[in-house]
Amino acid sequence: MPAHFGHLLKKAMKTFSQVNREKATGMLDFELKELENIFALLILGGFVGLPSPPSPIAVELLPYMEKELTVLLARTDLSQDPLGVLMGMLEID
Amino acid sequence: MHDTVFFLGKGGVGKTTLSSAFALALARRGKNVLVASLDPAHNLGDALETTLNGRPKKVEPNLDALEVNLAEWVDKYLEESREQLKANYSYNMTLNLDSFFSILKYSPGTEEYAVLWAIEDIHCRLAPSYDFVVFDTPPTALSLRFLSLPAISGLWVAELTKLRERILKSRQTIVRLNPESPVAASCVDKNDDKVYGKLGSIRTRLKALDTLFSKHSFLSVIVNPDDLSVFEALRIKEELLKLGIPLSAVCVNKQGVSDAEWKQTEELSHLPQFVFDFCRDGIRSRKDLETIGVEHLLHYFLDKQGKA
Repeated sequence: MPAHFGHLLKKAMKTFSQVNREKATGMLDFELKELENIFALLILGGFVGLPSPPSPIAVELLPYMEKELTVLLARTDLSQDPLGVLMGMLEID
Repeated sequence: MHDTVFFLGKGGVGKTTLSSAFALALARRGKNVLVASLDPAHNLGDALETTLNGRPKKVEPNLDALEVNLAEWVDKYLEESREQLKANYSYNMTLNLDSFFSILKYSPGTEEYAVLWAIEDIHCRLAPSYDFVVFDTPPTALSLRFLSLPAISGLWVAELTKLRERILKSRQTIVRLNPESPVAASCVDKNDDKVYGKLGSIRTRLKALDTLFSKHSFLSVIVNPDDLSVFEALRIKEELLKLGIPLSAVCVNKQGVSDAEWKQTEELSHLPQFVFDFCRDGIRSRKDLETIGVEHLLHYFLDKQGKA
């Protein structure tokens, strides 16, 4: 019984710690996604009319930017409601 | 040491004539020379009385020549990137991206980059087998753009590298605080990040080209005894000065083509001047190139080489 209780307590502490870790990094995660989005936009911006490096540089980097492209596309989906995303992240109802 | 020579100037001033005559004279002095045309509208082969392509062809015992095929370079480069993209991306992403490679060859800047890749290839792969490489360049607009690309692109790459470093630092912080974060699955270290590595390799290549243009090249601007070509030469000088690329000499070609009074502008007078008489019968054969008289330019160039 005490062993079982100890196991449960350990699990609860671990979950508690993980929740806190997730909360602590939530803002950083948001900032990272923004940075990755900006990086992708800077490189591929030429295709949508933004100032960008010469397109051959973009082409050289493109094969290694699958993750950034996915972030860019996901960000495009959220771009209709940026304030909503920010409020959600800050847990403001 | 200046082992690379560029002849620049307005269209029609005699860049091909002087570059081929200069290369021919150098070769006949016993130097092993490669003369390469970067002009999309090639006529180096016509001046040397032979048919040229993208590979060096022996024209004389010490002289090889080639005409860079820019379209071939663009296709080769895009094909390499397309293959790399297919290898790295998941299938559904490739389906979406593959389509715009076909239009990228018409994207602004691609032709200038193709010239740059061709110069890099000649400099790294072919130049070590020769004493000197002489470039016959396209008219001013394209030449200035490819000469300025290493500096301009270098600025972009430096800023992108800074942003990438920030991203990697941010990823490291998140993974340190929360090792179970999905961010842990992506690259957090500079040495493992392929984008950072690629930015580094682009920066190294651009730096090498910048050094080639600014420190190891003998750049000669060609003018005719008329104001238009001189104004363009002044613009070349100003633009190159901004990029930190010094001009080495001024060649006044077609002296005597007209009886109109003409005087060299003050702004170019501090540079060594070399005058070449107008060839009334035109340049029709390799033999005619010998009559141009590039010896004084050749002496100056070789003398500078000796001092360097």
